[in-house]
Amino acid sequence: MRAALIGAGQIARQHLNCLKTLPGVQIVGVCDLSPSVAESIAERFGVPAWFTDHAAMLREVKPDVVHVTTPPTSHFRLAMDALQSGAHVLVEKPATVTFAELEQLLHYAGERQLMIVEDHNYVFNHATREIAQWVDSGKLGAVVHVEVLMTLDLFGPGGFADPNARHPALALAGGALADFLPHLASLAHRFIGAHRRAHAIWTKRRPSILPYDEFHGVVEGERGTATLGFSATAQPDAFWLRVFGERAQASTNLFETRLTCERLRDGLKPLQPLKNGLEEGKAVRRAAMGTFLRKFKPGPATYDGMWHLLAGTYQALAQGTVLPVTPEDVLAVNRMVEALKPVEAAS
Amino acid sequence: MRALVTGANGFLGQSVVAALLAQGHTVRALVRPATAVEKIGWPAAVEIVRGDLRSARELAPAFADVDVLVHLAAAVTGGDDAMFASTVSGTERLLTAMAGTACRRIVLASSFAVYDWSAIHGTLDENSPITSGTKLYGRDGYAIAKSWQERITRRFAAQHGWDLTVLRPGFIWGRDHGYLGALGQQIGRLHFVVGPFTHLPLTHVDNCADLFARAAADPRAIGQTLNVVDGPGARIWGYLGEYMRGSGEGGFRLPVPYTVAFGMVRLAFATILKRNEKLPSVLVPCRFEARMKPLRYTNRRAQELLGWRPPLDYAECLRRTYGAKQGT
Repeated sequence: MRAALIGAGQIARQHLNCLKTLPGVQIVGVCDLSPSVAESIAERFGVPAWFTDHAAMLREVKPDVVHVTTPPTSHFRLAMDALQSGAHVLVEKPATVTFAELEQLLHYAGERQLMIVEDHNYVFNHATREIAQWVDSGKLGAVVHVEVLMTLDLFGPGGFADPNARHPALALAGGALADFLPHLASLAHRFIGAHRRAHAIWTKRRPSILPYDEFHGVVEGERGTATLGFSATAQPDAFWLRVFGERAQASTNLFETRLTCERLRDGLKPLQPLKNGLEEGKAVRRAAMGTFLRKFKPGPATYDGMWHLLAGTYQALAQGTVLPVTPEDVLAVNRMVEALKPVEAAS
Repeated sequence: MRALVTGANGFLGQSVVAALLAQGHTVRALVRPATAVEKIGWPAAVEIVRGDLRSARELAPAFADVDVLVHLAAAVTGGDDAMFASTVSGTERLLTAMAGTACRRIVLASSFAVYDWSAIHGTLDENSPITSGTKLYGRDGYAIAKSWQERITRRFAAQHGWDLTVLRPGFIWGRDHGYLGALGQQIGRLHFVVGPFTHLPLTHVDNCADLFARAAADPRAIGQTLNVVDGPGARIWGYLGEYMRGSGEGGFRLPVPYTVAFGMVRLAFATILKRNEKLPSVLVPCRFEARMKPLRYTNRRAQELLGWRPPLDYAECLRRTYGAKQGT
């Protein structure tokens, strides 16, 4: 399959690193508004053609799949142009700025048997897949509740709160935090299904150009409840996913390799905390070493979910089988995101 | 002469502004919107224009009545992509804006980082090869960004017929900037000095700024590429000793022969580290060489072309770096 990318920044490099390893995938073009960015990424990855005009790229290299890896405000127009050229679209989160735009894209794609896949990469991280497997095998029991909490410093130089260069994500309702909502929602959706009710609190703790730096939401889904949170001030950086089942509780930090499980055990009840604690300690020590060594190994590191998702997506497209992220998933996740957005527009 | 100086409030920029003023020129300083220029203490004669090269759409007005652009702005921290966006795309925006103005003269601050250190033996000078092709992407983000910045500046200059001077400073040092990547590897209070007798390609920030100001005003610099070093350079062992004393940091120096350290890095990189370029610079051979390879340096071309001699000797540079601040 012929792949092309629009947007050649940091996240595009992660896509290209993965695409290079996929059998049967040929990277035929990259595009960026900055000629030097486009040319350098083409030189670096051995891509035969680079462009600054995405329409010219679509016309000339005729890709089967287009990765849209630009800032979110441009996703809708670029994804629509790619669909109109007859290509499937793999779009970075958030897929669109508004839910109406997403519906329009999905409708257009659906009528033409084209696919739109939003990058729900953390759903495919090793730890998330492991927990999903524990759910499927009955180890966790029925899922009761899911907790998803990201703590990430957004105030560093050159980041979302840089007062010198306004970050494009600040155009989203909710500002920079809205850029992360699809990650939180896609994980909750994976374990509790589509939402029925949702309520969110958006607050601001620190003076900055961010409209909000704290978000906490509660969701009732088809199969359980979830709390979703983002804090730009709580430290250290972490991405906690905790799944509470009727028989066990799984916990992982998706920025690292830590995955632990506390479960009901046979035998004397007073010994349960001891056994769980010893097992957890062992897992945490092993993960600490694994996280450290991962930095020295080639490969996807924290992007292992993206690599898994891209591999699965290309395989499904080639074989005509079900995608890892279906249009229904994209729609349901973004409905949840929509329900959690702040009521008033970002100031 | 009116000079537009980008990165004017940076480490080198502040000295370049001072040198331009001292040599009788008018300075327009381009600084980021949130920069507190009051703290810098520039004289009122310095014109301030605000803009961020990463996002400013309207940079052309900054070039009004400007005779020379002294382009110093570059990111020295952050991830590879952030450095590229800031340094290279920023330069692209700046020069695109310049193309619509009457300004035709540029002095670019490039870097020793653009050289292909692996391919250089003996003396590094302006004729030494620079890193190009896919080999460049094995280097660190700073080297990639500075190489591309120089590349696109040369392209713009050729396309528009501009008069370009490229200055490539070695390690720029000065007050609060005494510690250099070339000094080896520090672990706690222990400094592993790789190649203790290796010369450092040093240029004190005030010497470096003096050459920038002279090159901007001297037509003999047009079309030239000049390395900026103060001379053959102090040796690492002695320089680090001055740093440890001067900064009050203290600690212990442990000498390691360069060939032994580099041999170990090459062997580890090719075997257990599996040629992984995500590793810290000290573990990637081409980056290790760019930091610590023992070479010789000269400022002969700047001497011959512009008659330039660094105005400050090493003792005065040390005093300005570690001595009491003037006026305190």
